[in-house]
Amino acid sequence: MSDRSQLIETGKPFTFDAQRDAEFERLVPRYPTRESLILPSLWLVQEQEGWISAEAMAYIADRIGTFASMVYEAATFYTMYNVHPTGKNHICVCRTLSCYLLGKQEIVDYLKHELGIKPGEISTDGQFSLEEVECLGHCGTAPVVQVNGEFYENMNVDKLKELLATLI
Amino acid sequence: MAEKVKLFVNGQEVEVESGKNLIDAIGAVGIEIPHLCYHPALGADGNCRMCLVGIEDGRPPLVPACKTKAVEGMKVQLDTDKIKKIQHDIMELELINHPIDCPICDQAGECKLQDYYMGYDGQKSRMTVPPVVKSKNMDFGCGVVHDQERCVLCARCVRFTRLITKTGELGIVNRTDDARVNIFPGRPLANRYALNVVDLCPVGAMTSQDFRFKQRAWFLTKSKSICHGCSKGCNIYVDHNREKYKDDIIYRFRPRLNQVVNGYFMCDQGRMTYKLENENRLQTAQLSGIDAGLNETIEATRRALSQSVKTVILISPNCSLEQMHTLQKFAASCNGCVSGYSDGYMKTGDGDDFLIQDDKSANRAAFALLGIDSSKSGFMDSVKGADLLVSFQNDLSRSLSAAEIEKLHGEMKFVAVGSYVDGFTEKASITLPVASYSEDTGTIINSDTILQRYEVAVIKNNPILDLIHVVNLLGGEIKDCKEAWADLAAHIVPLSNIDLEHIPSEGLALTDNEVSNVAA
Amino acid sequence: MQVKVLSTRFDIPDAHKIEVAKEHGAYSTLEKVFSMQPEEVIELVKASGLRGRGGAGFPTGLKWSFLPKNIDKPVYLAVNSDESEPATFKDRYILVRDPHMLIEGIIICCYAIKSHAAYIYIRGEYTTQAKALQAAIDEAYAAGYLGDTIAGKDFQLDVTVHRGAGAYVCGEETALLESIEGRKGQPRSKPPFPAVEGLYGCPTIINNVQSIGSLPFILANGPEAYKAYGTEKSPGTHLFGISGLVKKPGMYELPLGLPILEVIEKVAGGVRDGRTLKGVIPGGSSTPVLTPEEAKTVTLDYESMAAHKTMFGSGGIVVLDDTVDMVKLVENLISFYHHESCGQCTPCREGLGWMLKIVKKIVRGEGSTTDIDLLVELCDNIEMKTVCVLSAACTMSTRSYLNKFRHEFEAYVKSNASTQTAM
Repeated sequence: MSDRSQLIETGKPFTFDAQRDAEFERLVPRYPTRESLILPSLWLVQEQEGWISAEAMAYIADRIGTFASMVYEAATFYTMYNVHPTGKNHICVCRTLSCYLLGKQEIVDYLKHELGIKPGEISTDGQFSLEEVECLGHCGTAPVVQVNGEFYENMNVDKLKELLATLI
Repeated sequence: MAEKVKLFVNGQEVEVESGKNLIDAIGAVGIEIPHLCYHPALGADGNCRMCLVGIEDGRPPLVPACKTKAVEGMKVQLDTDKIKKIQHDIMELELINHPIDCPICDQAGECKLQDYYMGYDGQKSRMTVPPVVKSKNMDFGCGVVHDQERCVLCARCVRFTRLITKTGELGIVNRTDDARVNIFPGRPLANRYALNVVDLCPVGAMTSQDFRFKQRAWFLTKSKSICHGCSKGCNIYVDHNREKYKDDIIYRFRPRLNQVVNGYFMCDQGRMTYKLENENRLQTAQLSGIDAGLNETIEATRRALSQSVKTVILISPNCSLEQMHTLQKFAASCNGCVSGYSDGYMKTGDGDDFLIQDDKSANRAAFALLGIDSSKSGFMDSVKGADLLVSFQNDLSRSLSAAEIEKLHGEMKFVAVGSYVDGFTEKASITLPVASYSEDTGTIINSDTILQRYEVAVIKNNPILDLIHVVNLLGGEIKDCKEAWADLAAHIVPLSNIDLEHIPSEGLALTDNEVSNVAA
Repeated sequence: MQVKVLSTRFDIPDAHKIEVAKEHGAYSTLEKVFSMQPEEVIELVKASGLRGRGGAGFPTGLKWSFLPKNIDKPVYLAVNSDESEPATFKDRYILVRDPHMLIEGIIICCYAIKSHAAYIYIRGEYTTQAKALQAAIDEAYAAGYLGDTIAGKDFQLDVTVHRGAGAYVCGEETALLESIEGRKGQPRSKPPFPAVEGLYGCPTIINNVQSIGSLPFILANGPEAYKAYGTEKSPGTHLFGISGLVKKPGMYELPLGLPILEVIEKVAGGVRDGRTLKGVIPGGSSTPVLTPEEAKTVTLDYESMAAHKTMFGSGGIVVLDDTVDMVKLVENLISFYHHESCGQCTPCREGLGWMLKIVKKIVRGEGSTTDIDLLVELCDNIEMKTVCVLSAACTMSTRSYLNKFRHEFEAYVKSNASTQTAM
């Protein structure tokens, strides 16, 4: 696991768009403490921008009224938060137990070769990035891949080729 | 009186305070339970696992002592093979990724990992694979340097910034063995107590830029004293050393525990006042800015005093009780007017709700007790028609404008008796050096009317005479500090029953009534 | 062998929609529940013998009874939908196919424990499932089953979905609470236990999705009907997940107590590709592996598993055949636990990283017998010295492979030795 704590600064201040702003306000009364909004707020930033910059973390901290270090901790602890930009289609390949037994390596190797990237990198056309993730809870239909929130089950290289084609 | 309970440690019955955690309870009867993350000021975190102890017939049988309350009849196991093995194994795990920085690490000699390795581990490393590598020599702001590799992730520093200063600059980011302490980009440490994390850190992960590489801990003599940076009177350790062919100098101040006055901490500004003890000191007697012999200067001062029409004796709120009393008596003997005027030592609004006080002097409360007037009007009255102003440790240039000082200087001679070069001593035609508080003994009263005593910490190669001795040479009656106190006790009712040899280590609380007593 | 207790509505088209669910009985227990005293509901759940389905198997009714009486703080329910234990894939079926069963169960539980606020902690990866769940919750609010008055009764209940973001450790109940409160998922020391001091310092019950989902059946049909399934000490049914090298992997609802090998053979079609069985992981990656010989006498219940020195766990069965390299499998598993360690306490944080490096060294062919012995020793040194049991999940499972398949580790070492002599 690489050092997620090396944040990226965009150099521009961040603010929620109208939709995220409304959703934030909707969530406020659902929790007795404002700190509880940290995880949902990080998700809102990621929905809006695709990833979470240092400025976005500072914005969340100030909006909630908590320490930037608290937001920094949560953003780096939970691995689904992208602290660096990803490709338009971030491909997550499950690497654990059943998916490992049923051929995740073949899928990872194919993607690395086909897209010309290693996990953590973005393809030159900006379309794809790759990550090996832990058990996605779809062991009965292993191997499994998740892209942009959708699950693709019983994957093999052929199905992967089809999937990549639809994603572009 | 706290309730006591009887419990067993390693089969021996001991009596401890009920309700305390086992580290504190058993520590109070002299048995150490090793621990890294627990700190009495920060509470228990339970992450280091060094304090795991066995509880016979306990459910569960293995508990962290920091999170376990002392209960009647508890049977605590510390020296069984099982617990010793656990301590040994936890130490091994603490050390596998710990860099062997000891030769260049400031913490050596006062490092918990070193101490616990010697006490509880002692085995050779079994690491045959590369260790985890992180960032070193990171500037966290406020003079704090962080080394992520040395860090044992006890989270004391994080808890300090969240619970004590409530500024939250520090956090532990990432997870698994990538976890590390860091500041948020652009939001470094920015509070007035930041350097306390250097003391709190049990290892060399937090070091002081100011102290870095300057001295080895085992060469330092750790003397007790009291900070004179403000009227809080935080208890300190004066860490000093006399290197071969050099003088005894102070390398750092560290806070000393006093549950009543300052707890475990002190402010950064006060911590750095050790520099004032080393640099810009009045070293030699001077006449008109030129070095002169002590005897010659004393003579010159005695002449000035006897020839003066009206003398003003200006006392500093940093003088000790003994010194103030000596000066009052001296002033009476030479018909001098006494003033403690020192408004410039007050920084209104600078104090906070923790330790820092507006009053940047250490013993102003004594003025009220001894009846020393410190008002500006009183001072202006005193200097009207005066031709000699003798200041004892009081830098008048802090309280008056340059123009006002010039005016006074035109009217009278300035004599400065003090420890530090300052705006007043530079104008004085006679300067007499005296020992500073770190080289002297005395008693002071802080802003909470707590009486505390400090003793000599540093002895210079050429010791400077203390203030009372110098006043004696100038013609004052009192010869030394002991005599001054005896005289004080005889004259000031609230002090009459105090036995200097037996002042509690946490100081003696005087009631407000006592302190505002005007001396007979 | 399969039954329909929890999965009754799973195959009914659109059963996730409230109208269809209601047609097939959803929310029908509420009238009865609200006519009982909360304490009576707790007793009924106790009587059913329902045990927590997240992996620990703690009796659910008993857990509820640990709540202090006369509480002046709010009581919270946290529903554990973190489902991140490798080999586990059951709760999400409830979320997608029959979310109203879960909501009904939440209402029953909250009434019994006098809670008016429930948080469903769902793992971040379950994106479509979270959407489905939220849609059902919105329907429930609109139909008056959540909000200020439940089904017209004077009982207020709010349910909030709180998404995790990629941390297995948040399946640990106190780490889950930390995560809801906005912090890293670092488990808390116990005591105090969540029933006394949990979410926001208030009494809190944490239950698995399936445990809560089991409540409508129990309330509708009574504890005896639930105990008719399973064994005496392990009553009821479970949504078992069977995966790995089997012909028909998938989720199957079965009563507890069936022989594991029979289930693998008859329900999941047996080992695939004509290969031989080499081992069975009985209840999720954290459970010690069984050899085929051992598995012959194992039945799918808590007692039999404990007697065979493994655990029922989350009921995630993984079938291993003779193509599986156990050493590399251990590398895969230790890598998982190391990645998921929260990093709070010394033995897990440093120890799992060390174990991973050692097993990788062995796999690379650079290991020695000392390394194998060290792995075994580290399992002992780390286990039970930590704040939570994530480290034990790693060490208990790893130890079982080292004990039962040691020859495979030694083969890696021997091949290293032979290369060395060749040099």
